[in-house]
Amino acid sequence: MPEVKLVGLKKSYGKVTAVNKVNLTVENGEYVTILGPSGCGKTTLIRMIAGIIRPTEGKVYIGGKDMTSVPIEDRDIGYVFQNIALFPHLSVRDNVSYGPRAKDLDQEEQGQISKKYLEMVKLLDKMCMFPSELCGGEQQKVSLARALASGSKLLLLDEPLSALDSRVRVDLRYELRRLSKELGITTIHVTHDQEEAQSVSDRIVLMRAGTVVETGTPEELYVHPRNIFTANFIGETNLLEGWVKEVVGGTSSIELRNGGLVKVAQTNIKPGDAVVISVRPEFVFAANEGMKATITDITYMGTYWRIMASTEDDEEVSFDVTTMDGNSLTIGKELYLAINPKTAVLYPKPEDGVEEAIKLE
Amino acid sequence: MPTVKLIGLKKSFDYINAADGLDLEVHDGEYLCLLGPTGAGKTTALRMISGLLTPDEGQILLDGKDCAHLEVEERKAALLSQTYALFPNLTVEDNILFGLNIRGAAAEVKERVLINMLDLVRLSGRSDAFPFELSGGMQQRTALARALASGADLLLLDEPLRALDARLRISLRVELRSLVKTLKMTAIHVTHDHDEALVMADRVAIIRNGRILQVGTPEEIWDNPATPFVANFVGQCNFFTGEVLENEPYTVLRTKDGMLLKGRPSKLPKGSEAVLGVKIGNTDVSKERSGYMSAKVERIIFEGRNLHCDLMMDNGHRLSAKVPSWKRGKVSVGDKVNVSWEETKGAVFPMPAGGLEQELKVE
Amino acid sequence: MIAVISRKRFRTGWTAFIILFFLLFVILPTVYILSYAVTDWGSIDTYVLNDPEMMEMITNAIIASFEIAGIVTLIDIVVGLPMAWMLVRKDFKGKKFLDTLIDMPLAVPTAALGFSSAIFFAQTDLNVPFALNSITSPLLLIILLHVVFSYPYMVRSLSAILVQIDQTYETAGRTLGASPLAAARTITLPLFRAGLVTGIILCFSRSLSETGGTMIALATMNNVGFATGPTLIGDWKSNLVSNPDLAAPLAFVSILLIILSLILLVVIKLILMKVHLPMGRIWPRPERIFSRGLFPKAKDGLTVFFLVILVLIPSFFIFTYVATATPTSFDWGPFLDSLVYSFLIAGIVTVIDIALGVPMAVYIAKNRTGKISEVLDVLVNVPLIVPTAALGYSLGVFWTGQNLIPTWDVLLIILAHVAFTYPLVVRNVAGAVEEVDPAFEETARTLGAKPIQGFSRVLYPVIKSSILAGAIMAFTRSLGETGATQAVVADAMTAPVYIVTLIRSSDYYVAGLACIVLIIVSYVAMLALRYVTNGRRSN
Repeated sequence: MPEVKLVGLKKSYGKVTAVNKVNLTVENGEYVTILGPSGCGKTTLIRMIAGIIRPTEGKVYIGGKDMTSVPIEDRDIGYVFQNIALFPHLSVRDNVSYGPRAKDLDQEEQGQISKKYLEMVKLLDKMCMFPSELCGGEQQKVSLARALASGSKLLLLDEPLSALDSRVRVDLRYELRRLSKELGITTIHVTHDQEEAQSVSDRIVLMRAGTVVETGTPEELYVHPRNIFTANFIGETNLLEGWVKEVVGGTSSIELRNGGLVKVAQTNIKPGDAVVISVRPEFVFAANEGMKATITDITYMGTYWRIMASTEDDEEVSFDVTTMDGNSLTIGKELYLAINPKTAVLYPKPEDGVEEAIKLE
Repeated sequence: MPTVKLIGLKKSFDYINAADGLDLEVHDGEYLCLLGPTGAGKTTALRMISGLLTPDEGQILLDGKDCAHLEVEERKAALLSQTYALFPNLTVEDNILFGLNIRGAAAEVKERVLINMLDLVRLSGRSDAFPFELSGGMQQRTALARALASGADLLLLDEPLRALDARLRISLRVELRSLVKTLKMTAIHVTHDHDEALVMADRVAIIRNGRILQVGTPEEIWDNPATPFVANFVGQCNFFTGEVLENEPYTVLRTKDGMLLKGRPSKLPKGSEAVLGVKIGNTDVSKERSGYMSAKVERIIFEGRNLHCDLMMDNGHRLSAKVPSWKRGKVSVGDKVNVSWEETKGAVFPMPAGGLEQELKVE
Repeated sequence: MIAVISRKRFRTGWTAFIILFFLLFVILPTVYILSYAVTDWGSIDTYVLNDPEMMEMITNAIIASFEIAGIVTLIDIVVGLPMAWMLVRKDFKGKKFLDTLIDMPLAVPTAALGFSSAIFFAQTDLNVPFALNSITSPLLLIILLHVVFSYPYMVRSLSAILVQIDQTYETAGRTLGASPLAAARTITLPLFRAGLVTGIILCFSRSLSETGGTMIALATMNNVGFATGPTLIGDWKSNLVSNPDLAAPLAFVSILLIILSLILLVVIKLILMKVHLPMGRIWPRPERIFSRGLFPKAKDGLTVFFLVILVLIPSFFIFTYVATATPTSFDWGPFLDSLVYSFLIAGIVTVIDIALGVPMAVYIAKNRTGKISEVLDVLVNVPLIVPTAALGYSLGVFWTGQNLIPTWDVLLIILAHVAFTYPLVVRNVAGAVEEVDPAFEETARTLGAKPIQGFSRVLYPVIKSSILAGAIMAFTRSLGETGATQAVVADAMTAPVYIVTLIRSSDYYVAGLACIVLIIVSYVAMLALRYVTNGRRSN
C-alpha cells in the first residue's frame, strides 16, 4: 500500500539548495497538500517523489520500499502536470489508455479502462476528440483520468489547477478531492493557492525556502498557526505589534504602539516580551470601546463588507461586517474596534521584523 | 482626462465572434473590471481600444472623439500585458523610462519621473537590475511603473495579476488599485477572477461571447445579477427551476416536486417557468430553524472563514452552502438540516432559451 | 525622418519594394531557365533528345545525383538523430565541446572539405600517413564527402526541433509506465515529424546542389567519366564558349534538376506528413532492456565514433597531408587575388542579404495568417531546394538576356550568390521573430513608440543573434560556393574555383596550402563578425 515517506530529502543545484532535508510521511489514503510561495521547493519535492529529479541526499520510500534510485516508470505513480501535457497527437481515448498500453494489455482491456475513467470524469462523449479541441478544464480532467487509468494508487498533482480560470478552478478542486476519496488513493497535491489547499486536503504541509514551516489540518493551520508566516499565508490576518503589559488569570494584556490595550487569551508569555498579535478580519468588530480607528476603505465582498481602518496605534486593521451592518459605515467615520480574545494568537516579535517574517517572495 | 465609449463593436476571427456588438462606457478616472471566462472576448476588447486590433464594425470614442484614424502610439493608452513584456535587454530604469526616451524627454524630467516611479512601486534599490533578476511581483510592479510613466491617461490591464501566486495576488490587488487611483488614471482591467473584480473595481462589466451582459457596481453585480450566468460566475449559486406562483411582494416559485421557494419581487408572469438562484454564501443551513427544504449533510470542508457544506436534498439533487466557520461543531456530516435563505438573496430569472445548463457553462 | 518612415503609405511602399526585389532578383532568375523549354524546344530536341550519347550522359548524372542525395540523407538521419538526441536531452561533461565540434565543418568551405575528405578516403598515390586510402568507387566517395558536410545541417535542424518539444510529454509517458525508449518512440518521435522533414529537405538539397567539393574529390581520385548533375553543368559551362552547341544540354540539365528537386520537395513533405506509421504498440520487456545499461551507452559511443570517423577526421585531414607532404614552390599572387575577390563578393552578398532579407523575414513572420505571406514563405524555399549550379546557369541566362543591368562578372556572381543565400537569412530570422512574444512590440507601441522604433528598440536587440547567425551562414556559403559561380561566369576566379583548377592540374600540395589558408581565413572572418556585433552591444 502506497504510504509515502521522505527521509532527510535534499536537493541542491550548485550553491542553491532547493529542498533542504525534508522529512514527511503521507499515510495510505491520505490527501496531503504541499503549499508554499513560488520558489519554496514544493515542485522540486514532488518531482523527487516521482523520480523526475534525483535527490542530492536522503531517501524516498513508497509503500515501504526504498525508491530513491528507481526510475520513474517503475514507481507506479500517477502524475498530473501543471501544463497538462496531454499528448497532442493522440485522441482523448488514446491518451487515457496510454498507461494500459505501456503495459501491453490487450486492446479490449485498454478500451474498457479508458471508458471507465473517462466516465468517472464525465467526458465519455469527448472520447474521440483531440486535446486541442477541449477547453482547459476538460483537458485537465482528461489528464487526471490518464493518470488514474495507469492503475496507480499514488496520485501526484503538480499545480494541477493553476493553468485554469478561477471559476473553473473552484469547481474542479471539489471534484479532485471527491475522486481521490472515492478511489481510496493516496494523493500529494502541490499548490501555491492557500484556498485550494484548504478545500482539498486532509493535511497541509506549508513550505518556505526549501524547508517545511508547519504541518497540520486546514483547521489547525487556520485557527492555531504555530508560525507567524503560516498565520499570514493561510487566510488573511491583522498583525499588530506590541509588548506584554501583564498576564492575569487566563488573559494577557498587550500594549500597542501608542498605548492602546488589547486582551488575548494566551498566557505562555511574560510581561515585557515584544509580541505580535495575529487576529483575522472576521474576529475584529466594532464595539463601544477598544482601539480607536478611522475607516479608510470599504469593499463589497458579496457576503460581507471588508472595512479597512487605521487605528490610533498606526496600524492598518481590516475587519468584516455582515452585509446588513455595512450600510451604516462610511469612509472617514471614527469607531472603536475590539477583538475576540480567544481568536487572537500571539507570536514573539520576529528578530528581522514582521515584514521579513511574512514576506511572500 | 479620458473617457472611453465603445459603440456596437464587432470583430470576428475565422467565423468566431470575439466581439459581437460590444457597448460599454467607461467614465473619467474610473477603475472598470471587464470580467468573463476564457474566450469571452475580454482581450479582444482591450486590444481594439489600444488600436492593436481594428474592429470590423462599430466605433471607439476616446474622450468623445472617434479614434479610428489614430495609430496605437497616438492613443495614450498604455497596455500592461499578462506576461508583463518587460524588455529583456533593458534594466528596470530603462524599462520605466522607455516611453520618455521615445519622446526624447529632457534629462531632468526623466530623472524626476524615475525617482517618483521607483518610489511608488517600491523598487528604488533595484533600478539597475534586469527583468530576469526580479521576482514575479517585482516584474509586475516594474511593468506597471513603465505604463504609468509613459504619460498615458488610460491604463489597459490584461490580467495583470494572473502570473502571480495566489496569496501575493490578494495582497497586490489593493496596492494596484490605490496606485491607479492616486494617479487619477482611467483603468480598464481584464480578469477572469470574480473576487479580484469585486475587490478592485468601481464598476464591473461582465462579458460573455463578445457581448456585455451586465455593467454595475460590485454590489449590483453580486446582489442583482442580470442573468443566471452572471449569478453563477460571480460566486457559485444553487439553482432551482419551477413555476411562478406569485411575483409580489416577493416571487414564489413552485418546483416540480412541490417545494415553495421565495425570491426577490419580479415582473415574471404568473404561471411562467422561472429559475431561482441563491449564492451558496447566502444559503444557510440549520438544524433548529425551519427552511424551504431539508437535506442531508454529505461533506463539510473547512475553508478558513467559511465551511463549505455539500448537501443532498431529499429529491436526490445536490446543493452547497457556505456558512461562517464559527458554526463548526453545530453541523456535522450525516446531519439532517433545513436549508433557507433571505428572500432578498434569491435572484429570479425567466427560464433561459437554451436551457439552464447551457446558460451556466463557464468554458 | 522617423515621422516620415512611420507613415502608412511609406510602410506599404517599403513592403512592396522588398517583395518586388525578392520576386525579381531571387525567384525569377532562379527558375527563368524553365522558359527555355518553351521557347527553344527545337534545340533541346536536336542536341539532346536525338543524341543518345548525350542523353545517356545526362540520365546517368541525374540518377547519380539523386542516388547520392538519397543515401546521404538516410545516413545522416541514422547517425544524426542519436547525436541530436544526445545534445538536447542528455547532460554530460564535454557537451559544450561536442556542440562546437559539430559546427566546425560548417565553417570549412566545401572546396577545402572536398579535397580534405578525398585524400582521407580515396585511393590516391599521395601516400599520406593515416589515410584510409582505399575507396575506388567515385559514387561511394561522393556519398562519404556529402555526409561530411551535410551531417552538421542534419544534427542542427533536428536538435532545433527537439529542443522545442516539451520534455514533459516524455516524462508524462514515463509516469504512466513507459520505458524511456518506448516514451521516446511513441510520443516524441511522432511530434518530431516536422523537424524531420526540414532536416531531410535541407540535407537532400544540399547534397543535390554540391559542386565544388564534388569536382575536387573526383579530380583527386583522377576520375574520368563519373559526373553528377551539377558537375556536368560546371564542366559544360567552361566549354560553352568553344562549343556553343552545349547551350541546349546545359539548359536541359538545369531544367531537369530544378523540376525534379521541386517535385521531390513536395513528395517528401506529403509522404512524411501524411503517412502514419503503425508504431503505437509498446513492448514493455524488450524496450525496457534497450532503455537501460549497456545499450544506450553503446549507442552514444557509436554516435560519437561516427562523428569522429565520418565527419571530423575527413574535415581536417588536410592538415596531416600538408604537414607530411614534400613542399613545392608556389606563386601566392593569383591565389591571394582570388581570396580577396571571394571575400569582396561574400561581404557584399551578406550586406544585401541582411538589408533586404531581415525586412522580408519580419514581414513573413508577422503576417503568418495572410495569403501573401503564405505564398512568400513557400517561394523562399525554392532557391534553397534548387541545385545552385542550375540556379547559377538559369540566372546567367536571365541577366545576360535582358538589358536591365550591366553584365559585369562580379555583379552576376553577387546576384547568383544572393539568390541562394537570401533564403537562409530570411528563414533564420523569420524563425527568430516568430519566437519573440508579440507583446513586446505591442507594449512598446502603446507606450508611444512608432513602428520603426518598436523594431529598432525592442525587436532588433532580441533577434540580433539570429541575424548574426544568418549573416555568418550567408557569408560562409557564399565564400565556399563553386557551382553557382562557375555556372554563371565560367572563368570566374574565386578562391574555391581556383582550388578546383589547382587540383585539376595536379598541384596537390599548393591546393592543400590554399585550402588551409581558406579555412583559417574564414574562421577569422567569422570570429571578427561575432566580435564586431558583440562590440556594438556594449556601447
